[in-house]
Formats: sequence, structure tokens, C-alpha cells
Amino acid sequence: MPIAEQGYVHWEGRFDARRRPWRPIARLGIRLAFRRKGFKFVLAMAFLPTLIFAAGVYISERLDDFKEMIRGADRFLKIDPEFFKAFYASDNLLFWMLIIMVLAGAGLIADDLRHKALQLYFARPLRRRDYLQGKVLTLSFFLLLLTLLPGFLFLLLKFIFSGSFKLLAEYPWLPFSVAAWSVVVAGFFSLYTLALSSLSRNRRYASVLLIAAYFLSDIFFGIFFGIFRDPAFALLSVKNNLQQVAAVLLGAKPVFAVPWEYSAAVLAGLSVLAGAVLSRKVRGSEVIK
Amino acid sequence: MNIELQDIKFSYGPVRALDGVSVRVENGACGLLGPNGAGKSTLLRILLGFLRPDHGQGHVLGHDIRKDPFAVRRLVGYMPEDDCLIPGMDAVTFTSYFGELAGMPRQEAMKRAHDVLYYVGLGEARYRMLETYSAGMKQRLKLAQALVHDPKLLFLDEPTSNLDPQGRVEILDLIKDISSKKDVQVLISSHILTDIELTCTAVIILNKGRIAAQGDLAALRQVDFSLYELRVKGESGPFLRALAEAKCRVEETEDQLLKVYLPAGFDRRELFRVANRLGVQVRHFVRSQTSLEDLFARTVGVD
Repeated sequence: MPIAEQGYVHWEGRFDARRRPWRPIARLGIRLAFRRKGFKFVLAMAFLPTLIFAAGVYISERLDDFKEMIRGADRFLKIDPEFFKAFYASDNLLFWMLIIMVLAGAGLIADDLRHKALQLYFARPLRRRDYLQGKVLTLSFFLLLLTLLPGFLFLLLKFIFSGSFKLLAEYPWLPFSVAAWSVVVAGFFSLYTLALSSLSRNRRYASVLLIAAYFLSDIFFGIFFGIFRDPAFALLSVKNNLQQVAAVLLGAKPVFAVPWEYSAAVLAGLSVLAGAVLSRKVRGSEVIK
Repeated sequence: MNIELQDIKFSYGPVRALDGVSVRVENGACGLLGPNGAGKSTLLRILLGFLRPDHGQGHVLGHDIRKDPFAVRRLVGYMPEDDCLIPGMDAVTFTSYFGELAGMPRQEAMKRAHDVLYYVGLGEARYRMLETYSAGMKQRLKLAQALVHDPKLLFLDEPTSNLDPQGRVEILDLIKDISSKKDVQVLISSHILTDIELTCTAVIILNKGRIAAQGDLAALRQVDFSLYELRVKGESGPFLRALAEAKCRVEETEDQLLKVYLPAGFDRRELFRVANRLGVQVRHFVRSQTSLEDLFARTVGVD
């Protein structure tokens, strides 16, 4: 291919003094996720629990109209912290979040390692913190879509269908709890995903690691709980710990008879471990071999 | 002064990678040479601010490499040796992305990406997915991302590795154009000595963490010893042995051309005396220039 005889023109512009380097990284991560085969379909499917619970909010205000259909299940349709806990701590939602993490997050660092893109990133005026922030925000964007957005949607629908702010008067902290839990679960899952993504140069292995770590922890809980009947084994499971903390943050009854602080400590410990893995695996000094 | 390092020392644990390296690089293209383990990569890491030297000071484009590595990286372009890409992107998005990461506003980075892709010869292929690029195209793409933010100084790490002869010539043409006409200074780290000879006016040779030689390439070729090309008629064996005994290094090419390196202080007329004594006619006698290969071999102590 011949070299184009177009002259090299110097750039006369100025560098952005208040730039936020994590922004282009997050933007690119989101764009590339949407380009993945089947991602849009999976994301749409992940909103299925939201759709069902939104329908629940509507029916809760029309119990008489749906009397035949619900046949005594109206106790599940009381819109209170338990309703929100049922949504946020549901296996279904957590499963879809895991699938989104696999599709949008497994390759976030693994692909950069495989294609040696870290060399290009860190040859720019970019801190490791900026790089990781961009990656965390990519995942958090999708996870908050599945948590924060539905939470506020339910509140809004409740206000619209009931025509009152009674729910807010009874539980004024509920919007904050929804926001707090959404941030906690998005932050935890983002660190969890990125750490496992950084352990492999292959997106598929990283995907397997993500799924295996999540489900194996739950299987271990099932085995030990089945043998010893001790609810403390719930601490072995990532899912159970998330459900415990979700229940407490949303002002609902915890799922297991284990102090929620222990579950919070397990999640915090895993987050610290993920941070340590990331700081070891993502290094600027490795740029030039 | 583009690069100025004074007495830089750096160790990886007990292993001393750089030992008292002082370097001055001025305008033009400069080659960075050295055998494996000489400290080239460590020197580049220090210049880009990834490693803090244990001792010594350094400035790149007037910025302190210890205190202001970000300013250095903003003004410097780096083209790595490895094939680096982000799958799922086209060349324009890729190049503008790294412009943005360097601190350019988004729209200007995009505009500039088009310009530099045309400049490196990827204008027609700029919307193709990077996974479909050939080795030569990837090499040009790496050069484009290094140029997108209009650096004042370019670090090129093995810029012609994995290229076919035609691709190599084209990349070298680009490098020559950048360094000689575009007011961008270039530091090229390469094992291919002919690439350095073709593109650089100055050279730094590292060996075992120390500077083995540095300066203007033309001047370095003249240092210490002289190279002569001879053709002789007659029995050349005894003549070559006599020269070797006189501490001259002799190489014979396939077409019987003798390249004789005279040690410092050796009188070239002595060649004729030896030839006369051994009954050999000298039919051709020309002073030649020392090649970079010779210079490299001599300074790092290999044959």
C-alpha cells in the first residue's frame, strides 16, 4: 500500500486541562458491549424481572380487578421494603446480572491483556486508577440499569397508580436504600468481574471463572448446609451474602439467621481481595518488555 | 534539548540494569542500540516515567521524569513493538480513542485521527475492523496512534519487526519523513542496524547497563581505527596471516575484497611493505567507512 503523500499537519489545539480519562474508557466499553452478538437480547431479557415486578406494582393498586387471577397471592403484592427485597434479592435478577457481567465484563481486562493494549493505555498520561475507574463504570452502567433504574421506576409507578405519596411517608428512607443497595451491588460485582477478568488473557476463561466462582460458592453452601444444618455456611455463598446485605439495607428481614455484618465483612473482604488482584495485574511498568 | 539524562542508575533488586547512564539527545532521529539485557527497555521505561531511577536526574522535553511523568507522556508518542489493538474497533475509532486519552477534545481527536491515518497510508482502510489488518497495516496503525496527539518526540520500539521488505521500506520512509521534515524528534530502539543506519543521524549504544558509545553516527564511524578495502593478486594466505599478526582485523568478502581494520597508530604504508615482502600485488586500495555493524560489534565486544 503506497504511503499517501498527504502532508503531516501539526495540531494547533490545546489539551483539555480538566479532562476525565475514565470517560472515554467507560464510553468505549459500553459501545463495545452493545456490539457483542446477542448482548442486546440478553439485556432485554434481564429486564424481565423488572417487567414482572412493575406489573406487580400495577396489580397492587387494582387488587379487586385481578381478584380471580391472583387467588390469595395478594400478600406478595404489598408494596413495602419486603417487595423491594424480593426484587433485589431474587435469584432471577442476580442470575441476569451475572450473565450481563459475563458478556460485558469478562473481556474488559482479559482482552486488553491478550491484545497487549495496556501498553497503549499507559503510554498516555493515564493513572492505573483512571483505567480501572473507566472499566468499573462500564460495568456499573449496566448493573445500575438493572438495579437503580427499576427501583426508582417501581416508586414512580406506585406514586402514579396510587395517586399518593403514602409509601414515601411510611418509608421515607426507601429511595436512599434503593440507591445505596444499587451502588453496593454494582460496585461489588464490578470489582469481582474485573479481578477475575484480569486473571486470564482469554475472555472465555474469564467467563468460566466468573460463573464458576459464583455458582461453586453457592454449591458449597448447599453441601455444607445440607450436612450440618448451620445457617453460618451461608457466608460461603456470594449470592447469600448479597441477599443478606440487600435485606438489611432495604429495611427487610434477613434471609438467613446470620448477623448481616458478617456478610458485609465477607463482601468487603472479597472487594479488597479484588482490588489487590487488580493492582497486581494492571501495571504501568509492564508496558515495555 | 529533547532528552537529557545524568548519571542514571537503576536496579531490579540485586540486578543493576542501568549504571551511570548519561545521555543527551538533540534534534533529528537517534537510534538506541544494544544487545539483549543491555538496558534499552529499562531506559525507555524511565524516559516514559514508569520507573523512578535510583539515582540521577533526567529531563524529557524540559519536563522532569521524576516529578512530571504525565507531562512527558502527553508530549511523547510511543509505538510499541508488540501488535497492540482493541478488538471490535475500526482504525478511526481506535486512533481517536487514544488521542482522547492523551487529553485531546473528542471531536478534535476524531478529526486528527482521519488526518494521521491518511498520512501513514491507512486512509482507505480506516473503517475496517482492526482484526482484519495485515502485519504491515498494524504497524502503520501503531504509528498513527503514536502521532495522533502531535507529539514532539516519538519513541519507536522495533518499528520494522515482522514486516516484509516492501513494508519495511515504507515504514522507514515514513520515519525519515517524520524526523527530517515534520519537526518531530524520533528515538528508535531496534536490533536491525541497517534500519538505524537508514534513518538516524545519531546513535546511543548501551552495553551491560552502561553507555558504550553515543553521538553523531558519522563521527562515531571514524573513531579510533580505519577501514580499508583492498584487492590483491598473488598468494593472499601468508599476507592475511601477516596482517593478523600485526593486529589488523581482516574480513574477506565473496568477491575477494579484503576489508582491513587498522588499529590506532598503525601506518597504512605498512600494508604495502608487507605485501611487497610477501610478493603480493595490491591492485585496489580505498579507504572505507566503518559500518554501524562494525561499530556495534566493537563497542559491545562481540565479533
